[in-house]
Amino acid sequence: MFEANMDEEWTAGYREPCVQCSAVDWGVSDEGRFYCRSCHNVIERTREVVDPTFTPGSSRVSTIGKGSRTKKTERGHQWNICEGFQFILKKQAEALIRLGVSPRLKDEVLCELWRLYLQKSGQAFTDRPLTSFRVNVRGLDSDSESAAEFSGRSVSDTDGETVASSTVLSNAGSSVDPPPCSGSSDAVSYLTAQQLRSSSLMTMRKTLALIHIALVWIREALTLSDLLRLVNEGHVPYVNAFEELPDEMKLEGKDHLIFKVETIPSHESVHKEAQALLHVLQLPPFPPISCQSLLHPALLSLRYLTELNLPDELHLWVCRLMEQAGLEDQTVHTVDPLTLYVLPRYGVQTAALIVVTMKAVFGGVLRQTGEQDDSGNLFNLRRWYKLLQAALIRAQQNKEHDTARKQWRSKRDVSTSRNRKWVAVKKKRTAEQVQICFERLSSRPAGVERIGPSSFRFCWGDEDGADGPGLHHLTLDGVLTLKHGVLTPSHSTYWHPALQQCNYWRCRSHYLKLEPTLPRMFVWLLKLFSFLLDVKPASLYEEVLRVERRVFGSRTPWRKTKTETKTETKTKTKCRPKTKTKTRPETETKTAKTDR
Amino acid sequence: MMDDLERELGRFEDLKHEDDFSDDNSTRGSKRTKPRRMDAGESYKTPRETGFHQSTRICLEHIREALLHHRWQEAAEYMACYPQKLEDTATSQSEQYTELVWRLSTEILHQHPNSKLDDYNSIYERMKHSGIRHYLMICLEHSFHLLLNGHIENAKNQLSAAESWRYGKESGHVRQQQIVKLIQAYRSLLDYMIWCDKRFTHFDTDPSSISNADMHNYFRQASVNLKEILRNPGVWDPFILSYVEMLDFYEDYEEALNVLKNYAYDNTFPPNPNAHVYLYQYLKRHEAPERKLIKVLKILQVLVPSHELMLEYSSLLLQSERKKDTQKALEVVLEMLAFACWKSNLDAWKRLKDIIEKLQLEKNWKDVVSDKMAERKNWWPALHFTSFHFRTDSEENPELVEVKASLTKILCPDLTMKYSAGQESA
Repeated sequence: MFEANMDEEWTAGYREPCVQCSAVDWGVSDEGRFYCRSCHNVIERTREVVDPTFTPGSSRVSTIGKGSRTKKTERGHQWNICEGFQFILKKQAEALIRLGVSPRLKDEVLCELWRLYLQKSGQAFTDRPLTSFRVNVRGLDSDSESAAEFSGRSVSDTDGETVASSTVLSNAGSSVDPPPCSGSSDAVSYLTAQQLRSSSLMTMRKTLALIHIALVWIREALTLSDLLRLVNEGHVPYVNAFEELPDEMKLEGKDHLIFKVETIPSHESVHKEAQALLHVLQLPPFPPISCQSLLHPALLSLRYLTELNLPDELHLWVCRLMEQAGLEDQTVHTVDPLTLYVLPRYGVQTAALIVVTMKAVFGGVLRQTGEQDDSGNLFNLRRWYKLLQAALIRAQQNKEHDTARKQWRSKRDVSTSRNRKWVAVKKKRTAEQVQICFERLSSRPAGVERIGPSSFRFCWGDEDGADGPGLHHLTLDGVLTLKHGVLTPSHSTYWHPALQQCNYWRCRSHYLKLEPTLPRMFVWLLKLFSFLLDVKPASLYEEVLRVERRVFGSRTPWRKTKTETKTETKTKTKCRPKTKTKTRPETETKTAKTDR
Repeated sequence: MMDDLERELGRFEDLKHEDDFSDDNSTRGSKRTKPRRMDAGESYKTPRETGFHQSTRICLEHIREALLHHRWQEAAEYMACYPQKLEDTATSQSEQYTELVWRLSTEILHQHPNSKLDDYNSIYERMKHSGIRHYLMICLEHSFHLLLNGHIENAKNQLSAAESWRYGKESGHVRQQQIVKLIQAYRSLLDYMIWCDKRFTHFDTDPSSISNADMHNYFRQASVNLKEILRNPGVWDPFILSYVEMLDFYEDYEEALNVLKNYAYDNTFPPNPNAHVYLYQYLKRHEAPERKLIKVLKILQVLVPSHELMLEYSSLLLQSERKKDTQKALEVVLEMLAFACWKSNLDAWKRLKDIIEKLQLEKNWKDVVSDKMAERKNWWPALHFTSFHFRTDSEENPELVEVKASLTKILCPDLTMKYSAGQESA
């Protein structure tokens, strides 16, 4: 009965009287043929192709083509989930290469990492592959050379990459015909395995983690924040990446649960995944991140200083502090089995370094003191704050607007089950129509306008569209004085909150509780950097604490070493951890106070 | 509609506050919640707003802001980005969102300067077929819109299509049944409008002409429904009028009278002064005897003592020979004059004078007058006969002053106030 009315939509354009009974009352049968509802006379017209621009209710008659009578049973290829991921990774790498990353990413690094991953996770290149519910399973050595001679039915990328899954059906002699419709062959087992095992199986988020590892390996200047921003802006396929799968690899049923994403993962989560992947992959030591590489704080800080319109002179101090914190050593930044594969957060660490430097140079509470500048040559913190705050607010608003406009749905039909497919198609068409109507009305297409990708969020200088005048050339003489012939910051006191480390397993951070007590400028600085890197202020705060611990040498909380700068620790709301152990550091900081 | 929006946004506010620090809970040792829905890359997460939901929520907020501040272009721009929400499979309230999109779109179309009828048609058709609950309402709204823009035939077609809608249990629901009645009623009204149109443009005295047959067809279609509809209690003013007009044209006077009487006198119908007005007008048109007219107006007077027909009523009463009627007329006019709309009306006062004059032919007219004025004498003088009134009346309506002045002594013999130019007397 419901269909009776829905048929109106399909047949609304067709108003010919029936030859047998002269009535104009058409319906559409299940096969898609038109039939007269009064006399049940079936005619040749079929509803095969639906014209998306047809608006029911308008008097225009659209031509409905004569389609074939039966649905073509498409013989798609059998494919496995990891093949899908392989394809997606390839597309992501190609996108990055188009953006300027070195081509080594794809062929040399990512490819190898993928092979290694398949081997370690037991999906390929092993004797006992995981998903083995099909007939003939070819076991393989774990040598990568034999991959070349193995020719399964690897679907997609056959241009030079001979990586293939070993669980593909054997070519000859498979007595089982592939089922008429396609879809991955192991989605169900993939999902249950993923739930049961400790998630070393690939997910969409892990693809980003893998790419991040590859980028770190080739020491590309793209930090994780940059990568995620490119993903968010659509320059790197992620959200509807499965659209780029070839036609033979059709997504059906549960495949969507694996490949469909509705969120861009956060910085923290991808970093965690990457960390976990490193443990799985057991790579050899990475190429070292030396002072010349762009991920090293020495050079990365220069980038951030430029981006945030801070004077170039500050870089000198950043480097000094870096040395003091012991962060210039390349071993700190290089991923290594010896350091248990700790993956540094390059962007966040550098940002923390800059924050600490600013605290040291401008005084712990970052207040601009006295000295009004007439010559216009001195860097003024207040003026800088005003500029940046305006730019920050603008950028945040734009980001919010972009979030509101972002389109997440794909053009291809995505539905989890056959029953819901029709409903989903109808909803999609409704949504499309409404969208078209309003796009026409407002003369502005939906979605975010694609601008050229850029590493920088802000732009300083005198051109049109700049966020403000550039301050890079200004000097820091206002805050520096000569002491014993050496330029040192005028502020001799440095403020920092309690530095003892929380018990990792009990509690993570007390930033939210402490935040109201922290100096406002400091909090704002954290917010600024968090916006730039798209991380949470709390994690940046923890990184700042970590840097300060290194600087003041208080790694072990109960051994205070003498430091150069006079420290004044505030005893305030100490870490009230959820643990019941007595915090020894409490007493320690008190003695530190008496030191003074 | 805005309340629905509030509710919707309020729900998401709570979700927003949940994810504060990091993806994991700060209590790391806690039990992991089973994932309710495996989303790629989101396994083992606590329920949290996805990027998709965040986008649509913020989009909705922007639309709301734009609508509230009458920024129609901006609203249209964000509305183009919102429909993706309709494809959301993770929500259990898809009907609610369909309704939201329907109402927001129509609102924006109403206000945006560049909206065309095609846009309306397209939106209405789409939204109609994308849900069950609102199908009839949207049909009705669509046809109203067509009607307002002069596409009467189209409007009628819409309603005809809607009339034959059936969908299992839903169409039997009370709420839907009520809307169906409305649809039928309006469809009949549209039939009437087309009938009117035909009557004034194409009517031939030739009874066998085709256009006449067509016209009669419409009448038949309309009357079938209207008869049904008018049996239900309600306020059906425009429908009644159209039905009666048609019946009148076809000289079915009995039926017309019947219909009007039912409408006016049926107790199950809500009290409606207009019903009596229509009945009166009909009777008057058909030259009914005065007694009948008086009878009809009597009830009207009770319902609306200040009605504009009261003047006619009083003249009818005056013309009648019975003494009682004259007294009644006095009462009617006195009541009328208590209302602001009649207070300074010259005709009303003149009528009062005529009544008084007729009354004075009787011997006991003073008793009658004081009797009627008894309940009024505390406030009537202050309402009409102060020197303030004298002044204003002199400025606005000098003739009125004369009439009123002549009546002061009669109506209020013990009047202490002076209806004249003078100081405020004690």
